[in-house]
Amino acid sequence: MIELLTGMLSGALLAGGVLVLGALGEVLAERVGVFNLGLEGLMALGGVTAIITVAHVASAPLGLAAGILAGVAGGVVFAVPVVLLRANQTLCGLALTIAGTGLAASVGRPYSGQPARAVFDGVAIPYLSELPVLGRAIFSQNLLIYVIWIILPIALHYLLFKTRHGINLRAVGENPAAADAAGVPVVLLRFCYVVIGAGFSGAAGAYLTLAFVPSWSDGITGGRGWIAVALVIFAGFRPYQAAAGAFLFGLITALGFVGQARNWPIPPAFLSMLPYLGTLAFMIVPVMVSRRLQRRLAAPASLGLAFYRDQR
Amino acid sequence: MRVQRVASISGGVVIASRIGAVIAALLVGGAIFALAGYDVPMLADNVVEGSLTEFGIEDLGLLVSPLILTGLAVAIMLRIGLWNIGADGQFYAGAVAATVTGLAFPGGNDAVMLVVLALAGFAGGALWILLPALARAYLAVDEIITTLLLNFVALLFVNYLCTGPMRDPGQAITSASARVTTEIPPLMGDLHWGLVAAIVLALILALVFAYTPWGYEVRVAGANRFAAHYAGIPVRKRLMQVMLLSGGIAGLGGMAEVAGTVHRLQGGISNNFGYLGVMVAVLAGGLPIAVLPAALLMAVILNAGIVLQSYGVTTYEVLALTGLVLLFIAISEQLAYYRLLRRV
Amino acid sequence: MTQADARPAVELTGITKRFPGLIANDAIDLDLRRGEIHALLGENGAGKSTLMNILTGIYQPDAGQIRIDGVPVQFASPVQAIAAGIGMVHQHFKLIKAFTVAENIHMGWSETPRRVSAAVLERRTAELAAKFGLAVRPDARVEDLSAGEQQRVEILRVLARGARVLILDEPTAVLTPGEAAALAHAMRGFIATGYAIIFISHKLDEVLEVADRITVLRAGRKIATLPAQDCTQSQLATLMVGREIVAPQRGNAAHDRAIGQIVLQLAGVSAVNDRGLPALVDVDLALHAGEIVGIAGVAGNGQRELSEVLTGIRAVTEGQVRIGGTIMPNAEPAAFLARGIGHIPEDRLRSGLAPSMAVADNAVLREYNRPPVARGLFFAVRAAAALARRIVADASVLVPNMRMPVRNLSGGNQQRLVGRREMRVAHQALVAAYPTRGLDVGAIEQMLRYLIEMRDRGVGVLVISEELEEVLGIADRVAVLFQGRVMGIFPAAEADAERIGLLMGGRAEMAA
Repeated sequence: MIELLTGMLSGALLAGGVLVLGALGEVLAERVGVFNLGLEGLMALGGVTAIITVAHVASAPLGLAAGILAGVAGGVVFAVPVVLLRANQTLCGLALTIAGTGLAASVGRPYSGQPARAVFDGVAIPYLSELPVLGRAIFSQNLLIYVIWIILPIALHYLLFKTRHGINLRAVGENPAAADAAGVPVVLLRFCYVVIGAGFSGAAGAYLTLAFVPSWSDGITGGRGWIAVALVIFAGFRPYQAAAGAFLFGLITALGFVGQARNWPIPPAFLSMLPYLGTLAFMIVPVMVSRRLQRRLAAPASLGLAFYRDQR
Repeated sequence: MRVQRVASISGGVVIASRIGAVIAALLVGGAIFALAGYDVPMLADNVVEGSLTEFGIEDLGLLVSPLILTGLAVAIMLRIGLWNIGADGQFYAGAVAATVTGLAFPGGNDAVMLVVLALAGFAGGALWILLPALARAYLAVDEIITTLLLNFVALLFVNYLCTGPMRDPGQAITSASARVTTEIPPLMGDLHWGLVAAIVLALILALVFAYTPWGYEVRVAGANRFAAHYAGIPVRKRLMQVMLLSGGIAGLGGMAEVAGTVHRLQGGISNNFGYLGVMVAVLAGGLPIAVLPAALLMAVILNAGIVLQSYGVTTYEVLALTGLVLLFIAISEQLAYYRLLRRV
Repeated sequence: MTQADARPAVELTGITKRFPGLIANDAIDLDLRRGEIHALLGENGAGKSTLMNILTGIYQPDAGQIRIDGVPVQFASPVQAIAAGIGMVHQHFKLIKAFTVAENIHMGWSETPRRVSAAVLERRTAELAAKFGLAVRPDARVEDLSAGEQQRVEILRVLARGARVLILDEPTAVLTPGEAAALAHAMRGFIATGYAIIFISHKLDEVLEVADRITVLRAGRKIATLPAQDCTQSQLATLMVGREIVAPQRGNAAHDRAIGQIVLQLAGVSAVNDRGLPALVDVDLALHAGEIVGIAGVAGNGQRELSEVLTGIRAVTEGQVRIGGTIMPNAEPAAFLARGIGHIPEDRLRSGLAPSMAVADNAVLREYNRPPVARGLFFAVRAAAALARRIVADASVLVPNMRMPVRNLSGGNQQRLVGRREMRVAHQALVAAYPTRGLDVGAIEQMLRYLIEMRDRGVGVLVISEELEEVLGIADRVAVLFQGRVMGIFPAAEADAERIGLLMGGRAEMAA
């Protein structure tokens, strides 16, 4: 029983880490009003870039940095049409996903299936890792886990809700015309945070191939980018809630793994379906239950809408 | 020189800009290929040659047929202002339904069985989109993600069926079902009448959208939900109807693939046709009639990928190119509104 | 009148701004003195908003110069205009609805402390409110505030940034007469301390009462700048429109005409708005054939919900909606349409038209289901086009190509199109919500004439309007809506601006 609990907790943190990174980045993008559907492609690009980097330079942090850069590059390719040219956000997001996954698969072919040459290993924290359950589950993970689950959500929450910059940022997503009239640099903020958010997704991909799996193959992102987008909506565009949601999904995924490892009578295919079905449930059930909840989780008012200052 | 934004553009400009986008994407793609070390002119030559042989045209036809169907599925949802990213999953669902039905009644009358299979395929696809449709119509839950998530579920399900309960025990292939005996009659070589059926369906849908009140209502609902409600159009009902129709058509694609081309259910049978259908629909601007040339173009691109397989080009590169074309189309949609002016 | 400073606070010389297909501002000169209230007068489309958008850095002029206190400046963005002391309170408030008042005040402001908390922001807001004498609630969410309160927030925000030149765009559009008077009082207080105010309006009486000088714009050009004391309403009207206006004989000859049966009726109706809050409370209203009932009231008091309940777009939570004598059990726009209720909606581009669809498609929006447009399963495109052409001709709109998107038409043309379209289907009643909003004088005339025509045909007409003059001019009976209740309904002959103004502000009738 203890083993089960430890395994689930540990698995949840590990598996959910990808989702937290992706979701936090998307929270930033959507808070400035841009619906970035290209997360799946960005994760793939980040993941493959990380793998290739460590194959040449056996340093996991460098691989992570490369993955982030790949995400940033993808983010720029997305932000230029969407923010500067006001192209359709859905279309561009889909394009980014299709192109990104295709490109990543193409470039990653020689590396497919090989374990990563350098990974983020678990690090046992002295004393704390001796604790029952929590010790193995939390305090023996790789160092990225602390950054992902603790530092980043706190930093983002602080940025969004406790700083002057955060007010301006959120204003852009709510009513860009009002923000513009008040002197907030709307286009600049949108561009920057879309690109930063994309960097997060690149990091998520790198985390996937260097810490979670850790290796690369086509389709390894397995829809996590989409789940991250759904997660942001379900979490009401807030960092802490997004992390909590990611943990929930991590649990569901871990449940699937545990089930397979323990030869439960359910076919493995169905256990693998759990994350997707779970996401569906989380998108639909809360809305069904309460309309008031729907209002509290309301999206930034101008999410998905283009901003024109000089428009007739 | 100055750039000025105009309020509206003619249909001719829209088409021209779309064609321009495709050409630009192909050029950029070609440039990237060249940078990656491929001999682009030689490849292009081979593509043209390979496509124009008898086999080439047959292969093209085999690709066009499912693309027309998935393209139509996505296009009709675009008409009401929604995105069906789940066409792939609905394709699978239709294939499963058709296979199950086909295997349940082996040796039945071909004509009758074909109709039954078609109904099964349609029903399978419609069933697969039912949950997202209900969620969208009644709870305003975004349909993009819900339809897409079910793609993954469908893929897993089909793989499970093909390696498990429906596995063909007599075959060496370990992930396919038994052969379905009902077949769509052949048209030319491997090409079957499914292509004709798909074209006819496209024409029918084009007529329905332009010449029926139902089609008018859907178009208004897609253009402005509030105006549709104001005019007394039952928006929710139309949303459901269009979504189910869309899922059903994608399911028909799956059924045709099973009954006409592959003759059994196997993993990966969708060949990403669902996602490529999105591309076809966007290229066609959501117009059912324009899906025909758009599907042809997409088939040409896909076929090129197949022809070039011996040179190391895989579906991945084709997919990447597809994404690039989508991006360029998105950009061109905006740029089409700008024109250059000499300083007045 | 106050002493005006010698050097102008703002000087615009030769300002020109072009958009595709039209010249919005054509070599306009304007100067604004310190301690002055300067009115900018003109019809809708005359170029007032464009000019002010240039002054506040939202647009850049194609030609001309701006001088602030004698110094030439160029505003590449709103930030620079704000820094130069220009502050604008827009007609459509630029506030973030989901934010609190305090957050809105501090958005985009360099003096906001880097680290924020609700308590700090609210304290600072309260201090500012006290300093400028404006009553606001720092912790309230903007979407919960009344229009008057929101306007105060806008003004406070502008003043807090150090604006010395205030621009107010149609400020009294959303205020009751009482609130408008309070605003005028506040304005005079500001100029006494050295501010300069430009206020944009199309209301002649208001302009004459409040302004020191008046500049009239017409079709993008400045026509004249005159001291207010030298002007009369009719003179200004002529300058605004460019020709003599003769008010058409609308007449309130209600007693001469036979008022018919009740065609549309609300009995004890209550309804909620989109946010679930009460919008209509226990409303009793009866519209007869052959009469015009005007609904006066400041926007936001339930007018939108009233028009929606009357046309089947919104369900009622209590009470009954009756057409003729028949109770309509459900909110079904199609059923109301079938029974001959026409609807000119408040926001034509949002509800009444599909902007991206062709003119022809929009014209048949209410008749697509009936012959000659629909025959059985078929939608006869040619018949639809013929019908569309007829409607367009009736509306006197010149449409070069029926397939062009309807959003290309001017606001006036769109409204006339919607008007004629609804007139064709309104056999029993026509509900018109703000039918003249945003239109130039010519289009306004025409819309009002349509309404009178419908009345003369024996149709019951309900007009919701924020222009008191207009309502009193054509209505047979007038009702006032305040916070979802009908405050009083009486014959137009017994109405006067003051009585209605009080009702609009919520003051109940003292005696029967």
